[in-house]
Amino acid sequence: MDDEEIATAYRKLAGALHPDQQGGDAAAFRELGEAAAILRDPARRLKELAGISASHPFPEKAAELFSKVAEILQRSDALIAQTGMASNALTKALLMAPLKSLSLDLSSVQEQLSTWRISLEEEMQRIDSHWPESNPETLSHLADSFAYADRWASQLRERELALEAILG
Amino acid sequence: MIAGIDLGTTNSLIGVYESGFPTLLADTDGRRLLPSVVHYGDSILVGHEARRMQAIHPNRTIASVKRLIGRRFGEEGTEGLTGIPGAPVTIPLGGQNLSPEEISSEILKKLKVIAEARHGTEITRAVITVPAYFNDAQRAATRKAGELAGFSVERIVSEPTAAALAYGLDRLQDRSKIAVYDLGGGTFDLSILQLDNGVFQVLSTHGDTRLGGDDLDQAIAALVASKASLPRLSLPDTIRLHEAARLAKETLSTEEQSTIRLPFLEGGMNIEVMLTRAEIEGACSPIIRRTRIHCLRALEDAGIKAADLDQVILVGGSTRMPLVQHLVVEIFGKEPNLSQHPDESVALGAILQGAILDGSLQNVALLDITPLSLGIETFGGLMNVIIPRNTTIPAKAGEMFTNAVAGQSGMRITVLQGERELAADNWKLGGFEIPFAPSPKGAARVGVQFSIDADGILQVLARDTGTGIEKIVEIKSAVEVSDEAVEAMLAGSLEHAFEDMDARIFTEARLKAEEMLPAVEAALAQLAGELPPDEIAGIRHQTAEVTAALQSKETVRLKQTLANLDNATQSLATRLIERAMKIS
Repeated sequence: MDDEEIATAYRKLAGALHPDQQGGDAAAFRELGEAAAILRDPARRLKELAGISASHPFPEKAAELFSKVAEILQRSDALIAQTGMASNALTKALLMAPLKSLSLDLSSVQEQLSTWRISLEEEMQRIDSHWPESNPETLSHLADSFAYADRWASQLRERELALEAILG
Repeated sequence: MIAGIDLGTTNSLIGVYESGFPTLLADTDGRRLLPSVVHYGDSILVGHEARRMQAIHPNRTIASVKRLIGRRFGEEGTEGLTGIPGAPVTIPLGGQNLSPEEISSEILKKLKVIAEARHGTEITRAVITVPAYFNDAQRAATRKAGELAGFSVERIVSEPTAAALAYGLDRLQDRSKIAVYDLGGGTFDLSILQLDNGVFQVLSTHGDTRLGGDDLDQAIAALVASKASLPRLSLPDTIRLHEAARLAKETLSTEEQSTIRLPFLEGGMNIEVMLTRAEIEGACSPIIRRTRIHCLRALEDAGIKAADLDQVILVGGSTRMPLVQHLVVEIFGKEPNLSQHPDESVALGAILQGAILDGSLQNVALLDITPLSLGIETFGGLMNVIIPRNTTIPAKAGEMFTNAVAGQSGMRITVLQGERELAADNWKLGGFEIPFAPSPKGAARVGVQFSIDADGILQVLARDTGTGIEKIVEIKSAVEVSDEAVEAMLAGSLEHAFEDMDARIFTEARLKAEEMLPAVEAALAQLAGELPPDEIAGIRHQTAEVTAALQSKETVRLKQTLANLDNATQSLATRLIERAMKIS
C-alpha cells in the first residue's frame, strides 16, 4: 500500500466513523486516527513493529549532523530576531548580506540531512525485503534516526520559510 | 433546526437550512450583512444603527470587537486598552466595563431576532464560525458569546472549512485538492482540503489572527494623513478618516482613482485628497504580502506543492482587491476561483455544518483539524508536543513521562498550545498535579493522554502506572484566570500608568536614532567608493541634524530629522540590498 492508498482508505473509513455521522463512533474514529498517524510516520511505524518504548544511544550519523543543525538553527534564530527588531530600512539593508549567506549555509545543511534521509529509506527497504527477519536493535536505531531526521528537517524548513519571507 | 452564523470582524450573517438549501436570512430592510458594531447609549443598538453612531459617540460604540475576543491585557493588539497585564480584556463603554464576549453576544442576539422574525419560529441552536487559526481561548470565548445570546452552540467551525463546504456542496462526486484563501476584516487563514466523494478532509491550516481589511484601512488612512499633512486628529475625526479610507479602498477595487473629501473636520479643516489605485496598492502591499508565508507553511504541512492544487478559492471581503488576487496568482501559479460570494460563503458553510449535525444533510462528512499543537511542559521548560498541529479531530494521543529528580513525589502537568519550542513562549491552557510515591530518578512512570472531541475540547488524563491513581481534567476555557494568578501578575508587572507620555515618545525616538546613526556609518563604510559625493554630503548633513536634535531633547525635532535621514539613506539601503542579492 502506498501513501496515497492509505490516505484514500483512511478518508473512506473516517467519513463513515466521524461522530457527526449517523452510526458514527468517536472512540473508533480516534483509534483510526492514531493508526493512520503511525502508518504515515516511519519512526512511529518502526517503533510499533519493534515494540520498543525506551530510548537508545544516539545514532552515530545523527550525532554528526546534530552539531551542524543546532549551529545553523541558533544562527538563524539570532539573525531573524535581529532583523525583526530593526526599526529602520537601513539597518535591515545592512543585515541582508549576512542573511543571504545564512540562507546558503542553511540549504547546504538541508541537503546533507536529505541525503541521510534517503539512506535511511534505503535501509528501510532492505529491512522490508527481508521481513520478518530483523534485529530489534537495528529497528529501534532506524526508528530514532527517522525521528531525528524528520524533526530537524521541519525545524530547518521553518527557518528557511522565515528567511524566504524576509529576503522575498 | 440548527442555524449557521458567521460572526465576522466587520459583518455578521445568519441563516438556516430550508428544503434542502442553505438560506441566508435578511432583516426587514432586506439586508443580509449586519455590521458587527455595537452602540451602548440609552439602549443598545447593533448593526447599521450602531455604525451611524460611531463617529458621533466613539466612546460608546465599538467595531471589530472580534479582534479582542479571548485576549488578555498586554498581548499584541490590546495596545490602547488599560488593565492588568495577563487578565482577560475588558472594554470601557458607556460607563461600564464589558468583556468582548458580552459585546459579541449583542451582535448574536440581534442575529437571533432577525432570524426568528424571518423564519417565524424560535431558533435556539447554532453553529458559529471562527478563524481557523483561533486558539482555544478565542474559541471558548466565542462559544460563551453564543451562550450569552441564548443559543445552544452545537459546534464552533473554522471559517475556511465552512467556505470549503459551501464550495464543495455542488461537487460531491469530485476528488480534488483545494486551498481556501480567506482574508476578512480582521483575520487571515489559508486552509488546504482534500475533497473525496462527500468527505471534506482538512489537511492543514495556517494564518494570522491579526491581519485583515482593518489593517489595510489603517494603512490607507495613514497615507491620506501624510498626503494632506494632517495634524493629530480627534477620535471622531479619526473614525471618519478610517471610514473614508475603507470606502476609497472599495472604490479603488474597480476604479483607477478616487477622491477623499472630509469637510468640517475639527478646527474648521476641510480636506480633499486624490488617491490612485497604484498609491493604495503601494501602502497595502507589505500587509498583504504577509499572507505569503502562511500559504507556504500550509502547503508544506499538507505535504503538497502549489501545482498539486486543483483550485484556490477566495473568500472574505478583502479578496475583492485586485492586488490580493495578483498575489494569489504569484504564490500558487494559478488564477483563483472566484465562484464563491466573498461575504456569504462562510455563513452558508456554517448552515451546512448545522444541517450535517441535525441529520438533514447526509452523506457529507467534515474532517476538521486542530490548528495548533498541543503538548505539556517537560523538564527544562521545553514544550513536548503530544498532538501535533493539523491532526484530524476527534483525536487522542499519549506518552509516558518519568520523574527527572529522585524522591520527587508528584508531577505538575502544564498543558500548552502553540508552535514554539520553549514552553514559556506558548499559550498555557491549564495545569494540575499528579501525585506518586517518592521513588528513585526515572522509576516513577506517568502516562499522559490527550483526547480532543469534535468540538476541539481537550481532555487530559494522567495516570501513575505504579499506583493506578488517575486524574482527568477537562480544559474548558483558558481565558478565565484565577484571582491569585491576576494578583501575581499584578505584582510582577511594571507600573506604566504614570509615565510621562512625552518622555516615552522621546525615548523611543532616541533609541531609533541610536540604532540609525551607527547603521549609517556602517553602510557608508561598505559603499564608500560607489556613492556620488553630493549624496554622501547630503547624508552627512542629515546625520548632523539628528545628532543636534538628540542634544536639544526636542521630541518633534528629533522625529522630523530622523524621518529626513530615513529619506536621505533610501538609495543607500537599495544599494546594500542589491549587493546582498548578488551573493551566491
